[in-house]
Amino acid sequence: MSSVHDIGGSSGGPIDRSQHDVEDWERLADAINSALGGKGLQTTDQHRRAIESLPNYRDLGYYERWTAATEKLLIENGILTQAEIDEKAGEIERRWGGS
Amino acid sequence: MSEVHPHEEVRPERSPYAARIRAMEALLVEKSVLTEAEIQDRIEYMDSRTPANGAKLVARAWTDPDFKERLLSDAKSAARELGLDATHEAELIVVENTPVVHNLIVCTLCSCYPRAVLGRPPDWYKSFEYRSRAVREPRAVMREFGFEPEEGIEVAVHDSTADARYMVLPMRPEGTKNMDEEELAALVTRDALIGVSAPQAPSRAS
Repeated sequence: MSSVHDIGGSSGGPIDRSQHDVEDWERLADAINSALGGKGLQTTDQHRRAIESLPNYRDLGYYERWTAATEKLLIENGILTQAEIDEKAGEIERRWGGS
Repeated sequence: MSEVHPHEEVRPERSPYAARIRAMEALLVEKSVLTEAEIQDRIEYMDSRTPANGAKLVARAWTDPDFKERLLSDAKSAARELGLDATHEAELIVVENTPVVHNLIVCTLCSCYPRAVLGRPPDWYKSFEYRSRAVREPRAVMREFGFEPEEGIEVAVHDSTADARYMVLPMRPEGTKNMDEEELAALVTRDALIGVSAPQAPSRAS
């Protein structure tokens, strides 16, 4: 059975050709991923594997998948902990006036 | 979970993942894993990659047969000749359109794309629809982009991987004999470099 990312050859509807402007956080997700790779702290294949094993793969936007996968690898590789990421993200959200 | 999809109009930072990536950034800098300068460098590197780079390579290949040979045999070093550093790229393979074969690029598994030359891929390239259908019905996909190779021309679809990225070398349009390299480059669009379109001479542009 194919896994969730292996969709080549399946059927699908019309292609939406509209383009959204890349947002700053998406640029950042791209850059952090690339910088970690440049330092040998993760590889493209690890990142792909992490993306492809996300349980909510189909529900996430493109850079959301990237971000979730980077988080997973940073924790797996012992560079950051889940608790500290959660705490810092909470602080940032509060600063932004979110919930 | 999230309602943010790549094709939707999104308010800046609306995604819950925006706070998460900024949290990782702050922690990585705090712990000296990365510096702000390194992160900024990567942002600027990607922002500087655009389809115009690919168009330059194509225009040079159209006007210099020796360069074309080098572009087809070793694209990275050919790119370096034009001052384009593609060292971050995995293998870069340029595939040539001819009167008998038209090439189309996809990455069915994710979004592999010659980013070191052309920059970030367009949203549609990353869409589930393009990824699944390009290998199944490439002509129908190209028709959606308003283009279809003539009947009898073989369509070769190249499925990119993390290790091998493709770019199309389109055919030089008829009626461009008197154009210089810069004028020729202006005819080459991003979509033509992916293969969902083909360059047209200005007089024939539709």
